[in-house]
Amino acid sequence: MAATTDDTEEHTAAPGTAPTPRRRPGRIAAAVGVLGELLITAGLVLGLFVVYSLWWTNVLADREADREGDRVRDTWAHEGSGGPGALDIRDGIGFLHVPAMNKEEILVKKGTSAKILNNGVAGYYTDPVKATLPTSGRNGNFAVAAHRDGHGAEFHNIHKLKKGDPIVFETKDTWYVYKVYATLPETSKYNVEVLDAVPRESGRKKAGKYITLTTCTPIYTSRYRYIVWGELERVEKVDEDRTPPRELR
Amino acid sequence: MPYGVSLVPWYDGRDGMYGWIWRHLPGNVWVKALISLVLILAVVYVLFQYVFPWAEPLLPFNDVTVDSQ
Repeated sequence: MAATTDDTEEHTAAPGTAPTPRRRPGRIAAAVGVLGELLITAGLVLGLFVVYSLWWTNVLADREADREGDRVRDTWAHEGSGGPGALDIRDGIGFLHVPAMNKEEILVKKGTSAKILNNGVAGYYTDPVKATLPTSGRNGNFAVAAHRDGHGAEFHNIHKLKKGDPIVFETKDTWYVYKVYATLPETSKYNVEVLDAVPRESGRKKAGKYITLTTCTPIYTSRYRYIVWGELERVEKVDEDRTPPRELR
Repeated sequence: MPYGVSLVPWYDGRDGMYGWIWRHLPGNVWVKALISLVLILAVVYVLFQYVFPWAEPLLPFNDVTVDSQ
């Protein structure tokens, strides 16, 4: 930096020579300046990431879930009352209605991979434990997962579910009305026993028709899992107008 | 924008990377502002479309399933 004092002459430099900078900053000042700019840039990028995860993924997922939901309803409408089981497994198998948590219906599809859940749907478990579908009529646990935040955030308000709240699963021909009987606000993500056919941690000892909702907790992170258990209370046939059961009215 | 400076050939002035970009945009102030806006939108697009979807599964914010692994 020996030339510092000469640089003040820049405006009188002879034509043809490149204009010299006003004053060369010290090496440390320059490093601090670069660091500062990088930090500002990093802050902006992180801020954008928050916008992306909490807002934009919801926009995309809701759009996709609406489209897929419409497709399932179209299929149901066009199949008529003909034989069962014609539904393509890649489409949804039905809709969850949980009025205490979410005013909207939640499409349920097979699998809990990120690729499936990111489309704003709930997925039923195939791994590590296979969920028992209510349509099978057998005893077992209908275990489903969905996002707490972003990607539709279908289970965002899972903490609002209390004992006795209804969880209704709608298929083409049947309403399955479950009642919440136990919740587990915090458990390890390795606790796969909550998905068991008879989830002992919920207090039940006998075989029955259960439903288990899992999502992450606390909100905005996924350190633990939040579990809600329900038990099938009754089954209603879907009528001509698809009149919802009284829990949804 | 606070005055930054740089070690790299972005210029040895005192206004850093963003200042360097600004000075190298063509046109008058309005044209520069318009081009800046387009550049910002392009960066946001690339982040939302490619970078964030790639980064998200690597971050522990959105795992909702219980798993034995």
